[in-house]
Amino acid sequence: MRLRSQRKPLVSYLQPYLLIAPTLILVLMFNVVPAINTVRDSLYKPARGLNAAGKPPEFVGAENFRDLFDESHYLGARFLRTFRNTIVFALATVIIGVPLGLLLALLLNQKQPLLGLWRFAVFYPSLLPLIGAASIWSFIFSDSIGLANAVLKSLGHPGLNWLGDRNLVLLSVIVVNIWKQAGYFMIFFLAGLQNIPRDIYESASLDGASDAQQFVALTMPLLRRTLLFVIVIAFIFAFQTVEQLQALGEGGPNDSANLLLYLIFQNISERRNWGYVNAMTIVLIGVVLTFTLSNFLLFERDESN
Amino acid sequence: MNGSNGSERILRRFAASVKTVIAIFFLIPLVFTILVSVRPEAEPVTRGNIFFGSEVTWENYDRALIIAPWSMHYVNSVIFVAGVLLAQLVTVTCAAYAFARMRFFGRNLLLLIILLQLMIPSGVLLVQNFRMINTLGLFDTRIALMIPYWGSAFGVLLLRQTFREVPIELEEAARIDGANLVQVIRHVYVTNAIPAYLAFALVSVSSHWNEFLWPFIITRSAEIRPLTVGLNKLIKTTDQGAFYGQLMAGTLIVIAPLVLLFLLFQRQFVESFARSGIR
Repeated sequence: MRLRSQRKPLVSYLQPYLLIAPTLILVLMFNVVPAINTVRDSLYKPARGLNAAGKPPEFVGAENFRDLFDESHYLGARFLRTFRNTIVFALATVIIGVPLGLLLALLLNQKQPLLGLWRFAVFYPSLLPLIGAASIWSFIFSDSIGLANAVLKSLGHPGLNWLGDRNLVLLSVIVVNIWKQAGYFMIFFLAGLQNIPRDIYESASLDGASDAQQFVALTMPLLRRTLLFVIVIAFIFAFQTVEQLQALGEGGPNDSANLLLYLIFQNISERRNWGYVNAMTIVLIGVVLTFTLSNFLLFERDESN
Repeated sequence: MNGSNGSERILRRFAASVKTVIAIFFLIPLVFTILVSVRPEAEPVTRGNIFFGSEVTWENYDRALIIAPWSMHYVNSVIFVAGVLLAQLVTVTCAAYAFARMRFFGRNLLLLIILLQLMIPSGVLLVQNFRMINTLGLFDTRIALMIPYWGSAFGVLLLRQTFREVPIELEEAARIDGANLVQVIRHVYVTNAIPAYLAFALVSVSSHWNEFLWPFIITRSAEIRPLTVGLNKLIKTTDQGAFYGQLMAGTLIVIAPLVLLFLLFQRQFVESFARSGIR
């Protein structure tokens, strides 16, 4: 037996690099370089004034960011409102959606008749395209013939303008998102619950602990990691799920239900807003990065074995 | 002792009813999508019987079918999803093997660069990726749709972990038998990681089947646009006149394959999605 490394030293030295090259190049092309370009372009403004066409963009430093956080600026006002909405949207998803996911996991963890049907009932929304889910709900929330108002009217209420009233659109969008994500969150809690050894519960109930006591003293502490993890991904997701707006009011009257990535999408072909769009993307990346990094710091460390 | 006293039984009853209420709330949208799609357009749910109109009709489907070329969109979605997955399987397998079993200079740094994809997902880089595709002259092509997804940090992590659990003795035995690198990867590692591949495939297919913003931005021709973009056209058409029957029919046309796939592979889907988060 001759060792391969003695026969073809150069090839075997290069081998690992050749194997990772495709992934590495793609990540550089579509994640790393675009991110760097975003930073660069957020510091520029397209040339203004007469004969602006063809002129190179001018360097403006942090001016784009200052404008975005300026309530009196035409895009700043939109950005600030949208940014607030995005935070409300993310918080509501986490505060309502994550406990709902946990509740569903607890209810569907035990063996029971029709388990498949129950799981289907709560998990199928997470398989739908966002835009398909939104399309379904656009009917439910429809002003004149929608289901929500049909129910309200049968109760004697005149009905609400779910997708037209500036105080309601964001709520409608949040309801759809919770409906869509709760089943997905449930999956992680189910996995977490199944990792808890059964005999812990057996000895607890032999000691006379009730279901409620077992939940507080055993389940919750053992699910702590899963809970933190789900909260983090719920936030990351919330900042990236915007396609439903396409069918649910397109950001609402006066951006009352607009979300950050959707505002970026709406301005993608507005040349004069190019610098702003990149600055907004930086804000979005900043938020996503913060949550993903905290995710890594919280979990990767003790999984390194 | 095992929860058969009075208060425990009440708790269980309560849990069962909570479960039923939530399940009904979650199912109502799907049930009404189906009902409205076969209900005559002239009979909104506010009039007459809320569940069924005067008759069951397919006319909404007929009209939805005219608005967008669905069979073309179907083919496009399949090509998109398959084109992404096949390329991913190759790139991910190669990189995962290198990171799992080879020692080389800069290994940790290079892995870290690839992991940047998880921290800066291409979904938030719409603007610059749009520009990148234009620079490459790929606007409005199938390649443009797929190429940002060909590399997958999630896939690399998932398979690297799985490959590490394959006993190294199997590779050594194959090497002694004269297997080359490709044969080792194929017959030792891939064959021992089929569940991980299935998990990865389900996550990849379901997320790209549902992709909307990127295909919408990067394509113009109906000849290559996927189903979600066709559905968007139907939504925009419906906006004007509130023809919800045809919109629900079109929505069902788009969501049916994944819902059916889920019914067939329920357990695998649940496990795959769980693994997709564990990373």
